[in-house]
Amino acid sequence: MTLAASSSAGQRVLRLGGSSFGPQQRLVMAIVNRTPDSFYDRGATWDEAAALDRVHAVVGEGADIVDVGGVPAAPGTEVTIAEEIRRTVPFVAAVRAAYPQLVISVDTWRHQTARELLAAGADLLNDTWGGWDERLPEVAAEYGAGLICSHAGGLPPRTRPHRMEYDDVMADVLERTLALADRAVALGVDPARILIDPAHDFGKNTWHSLEVTRRLGEMAATGWPVLVSLSHKDFIGETLNAERNERLTGTLATSAICAWLGARVFRAHQVTQTRQVLDMVSAIRGELAPARAVRGLA
Amino acid sequence: MSSRLPGRCADLPSPRGDRGDAARAGTFAAICPPAPLLARELTGLDPVVPELRRACAVAVERLVRAGPEIVVIVGPGPRTADWPASGRLHLSAFAPALGTLGEDPEPPLPLALGLGSRLLDEGGYRGPRLLRSVHHDEPAAACLRLGDELSRLGDRVGLLVMADGSACRSLRAPGYLHPSAAAFDATLEQAVRDGDLGALRAMDESLARELLAAGRAGFQVLAGAMPGRAPATEILYAGDPFGVYYLVAWLAG
Repeated sequence: MTLAASSSAGQRVLRLGGSSFGPQQRLVMAIVNRTPDSFYDRGATWDEAAALDRVHAVVGEGADIVDVGGVPAAPGTEVTIAEEIRRTVPFVAAVRAAYPQLVISVDTWRHQTARELLAAGADLLNDTWGGWDERLPEVAAEYGAGLICSHAGGLPPRTRPHRMEYDDVMADVLERTLALADRAVALGVDPARILIDPAHDFGKNTWHSLEVTRRLGEMAATGWPVLVSLSHKDFIGETLNAERNERLTGTLATSAICAWLGARVFRAHQVTQTRQVLDMVSAIRGELAPARAVRGLA
Repeated sequence: MSSRLPGRCADLPSPRGDRGDAARAGTFAAICPPAPLLARELTGLDPVVPELRRACAVAVERLVRAGPEIVVIVGPGPRTADWPASGRLHLSAFAPALGTLGEDPEPPLPLALGLGSRLLDEGGYRGPRLLRSVHHDEPAAACLRLGDELSRLGDRVGLLVMADGSACRSLRAPGYLHPSAAAFDATLEQAVRDGDLGALRAMDESLARELLAAGRAGFQVLAGAMPGRAPATEILYAGDPFGVYYLVAWLAG
């Protein structure tokens, strides 16, 4: 049942793995960290069995995609390519074996790791560091995989923004992400498998992240599917003066705004709550019927 | 205000190369960090660093009360260049929601110079000012020469040096924890505390770059402007609340 179509005008079908997603489908990408020290979960899924349990849980909660990462975004102890592969490749293979149809995204900026992960069954490369490794699209093309083109303001991987300034932050986001997307297409990545991501907090202060949120519609207007990764990030913490374990409300509020403005994929820790927010937005937009409506209708 | 002193950089006279060190005895300086959060409106509802702002206000008050003929604001920028003295702080590059550049015909100042200009305005300074940005990779020799040149602009030159130390003092610091950061900043603080500006001449350029210490160039301009003397100094603030080393100081002539 389609109640309205205008909000998604110009948006393309998104293909991930063997699945296709229409412009009005809002997808949850569940975060599964294979790190001992990621900022939010603090290594909760460092143990491989715990990580697989996490996958079972998020699939049960309705996640459309899982995103597996082996290197935290924050600076810290070096994680070599070999170590990143050790942390993620056997795990991705295990997830693929357990869920032949599940869309598996992998959070890496390094083409060497990406190649191993795609060979193990991953479908999508989440290049959070904005094309730092120029060979990543080649590998995506080679395996027929998807690619997320992100804005990190030109910062090297695992560095923090320090006095970053932009004449127009959204213009910079658009320029960099669209250039990455165009380059990926030129290198043979299927355009239907490319997303763009403003990458909140990456290369940005809180004001910048609020601005890209407010102007997210400009990204959606490009026609590329937009992914947002908001979950418990510092811009939410600073806006609400909230510690890491107090940012869910802010995360969900921001998710709703982004959904309203046209984002299609939401990278999240809390799948159930995010799913509810997205379904609520879809229903308000007239793109999803209520699950059960009897009030006043008897 | 003397008529021979400029209101804008374009009107500046040539440095008076005939003056010796004696003429530069009239050079004095304030040091403040060019941290964006010095702008009160950038930190939101929480003032975050009120004591840092107070210290900067005191340093600039000392500078203004010393009666400069001209104040030179020196700070990091995209290139080594003069900027219009009428330029003011614009924050839109850091916080788009706080306003756009609008119809302002002037190019936006580098943040450090904008912050310095605001400090001068808030300190009640109405005299001539020169705004000079220094690229963070400007070699030490060029910085020292620049300081020497600036010190010859008048008999009583006030320098407002917008500079700070490393940004690598903790795990949460912008540049993460660097084992050399503490020693680098300690050397800097000691040099200023002792009025031993010669020590600033020797600051390691490549280490400064590694530590994200863009203030290195400004400190060396200061050393060039006050050579061979040990000015009386007052440290008004020294701290690293966010892993970046801030130093606020007054160096009397």
